[in-house]
Amino acid sequence: MSESALPTEQSLHALYRDHRSWLESWLGRRMGNSWDAADLSQDTFLRVATSSQKIADLQEPRAYLLTIGKRLLNTFYTRRNLEQAYLDALTQLPEQSVPSPEHRWALLETLQALDELLDGLPVLVRRAFLWSQLEGIGYREIAERLEISERTVKRYMAQAYEHCLLLDLE
Amino acid sequence: MRAAPASTQARELMRTAAKWLALMESGHVSEDDQARLQAWRNSSPTHEHAWQRALLLRQRFSGLPTELAMAALDRPDMARRTAVKRALGVATLLPAAWLLGRELPVDVWRADVHTATGEQQQLKLADGSNLQLNTDSAVNLDIASGQLTLLRGEMSLNAPGSAPLSIDVPYGRVAVSRSEVCLRLDDHGCRVSVISGSAQLQSVQGAALMLNQGQQSSLLAAGFGPTEGFDALLPGWREGVLMADDQLLGDFLRELSRYRPGLLRWDPALENLRVTGSFRLDDTDRILSLLAASLPLEVQSRTRYWVTLVPQTVPQMAPEIAPQKKTA
Repeated sequence: MSESALPTEQSLHALYRDHRSWLESWLGRRMGNSWDAADLSQDTFLRVATSSQKIADLQEPRAYLLTIGKRLLNTFYTRRNLEQAYLDALTQLPEQSVPSPEHRWALLETLQALDELLDGLPVLVRRAFLWSQLEGIGYREIAERLEISERTVKRYMAQAYEHCLLLDLE
Repeated sequence: MRAAPASTQARELMRTAAKWLALMESGHVSEDDQARLQAWRNSSPTHEHAWQRALLLRQRFSGLPTELAMAALDRPDMARRTAVKRALGVATLLPAAWLLGRELPVDVWRADVHTATGEQQQLKLADGSNLQLNTDSAVNLDIASGQLTLLRGEMSLNAPGSAPLSIDVPYGRVAVSRSEVCLRLDDHGCRVSVISGSAQLQSVQGAALMLNQGQQSSLLAAGFGPTEGFDALLPGWREGVLMADDQLLGDFLRELSRYRPGLLRWDPALENLRVTGSFRLDDTDRILSLLAASLPLEVQSRTRYWVTLVPQTVPQMAPEIAPQKKTA
């Protein structure tokens, strides 16, 4: 234990003071919108504050902030992309299947959470998993559709389950 | 010593549970497999716990409207529509278990009548009274005993009959007969407005207060707020209208956001602008465009459910004559 280690709150404050405007302008250049950039920069510091990483130990604070900021930026675009697909699908549905306006938002939030849970899975694994979970399609049919063996489908499913369960652990 | 975020052992358990689940869903499960799974679950509470988590995970995907969920989650390839069509019409019907317990406390979901954000409802009660619920509200009804309970949000009750009705709120009780009242509940108290006739308020401490037509007061934890007059003839939410008479924009937007699902935010610089007008509540997007047309502000839609109002950008100035910037 080093005696010079700053209390977390103090080092967070220093980190914020020294790097916030830099991070904000970095994000702003990528998003073309200073308002969204300010939001994401706040989010980034919030993540830093709640993570187990000791701020005082950071050798390269900006690299660290960028890692988190980039991840959030990615989530931001993914969510926007998902919402677009969702809104498009809404317009395609027959009238009797369209959720009531008050349920649409809750449903979108649920889908966003699941999307984040599945993030990072290979496309085919993800698709096989969604077919099985959402549509109840059996392994054999999935195997036929994807032109792979049933054994591989089973491996895909185990991989998807494992991915989600491990994410749940963190 | 530093503990790893999730121990290797815990991860290994999840891996095993995932394999079991994939096997169980394969459609080729022998009795021997069943027995082996059972034995694995029985051999340690941590095994059983991992298995339960795996089952819970599977539940997260159940009950979703298939067509919408597939379209949103399987975005890269939108061509596989035909495969999805079978499930249409049945599986897309809501609401399934995923909605229960979300965002509202359970007693509100179980309430006899409730409305979601942006929704309003009107109900004719058995005794001839007329009950109206505003956005995001919940009421329990016990007509036989003439008893209503406002659990959340805002309601109005028009009771033309002489049989007394009472409305309970967390801060006391309101008794009405041959009258029309409006109640609005928030974190601090319940505002009661008498539109016609009169109403008797009773605080939890037992004190009573009589309000007549055109008067309003609040039931608070500590008793009553001040009694004030209001214009009972002005149209309001019951007519589907939001009125503003030289109102601070911040106050107006706080009120408006009650009717919009998602996030509505504004730059603090806009807080003190003034709004006047009467707006139709059934199209809040339109209200925002009207504001943008009449005030120096811009509507930025990050998404449909995430809208931000910002001051109108002034014509671009050359950098050298721009207002002084803080230097680092």
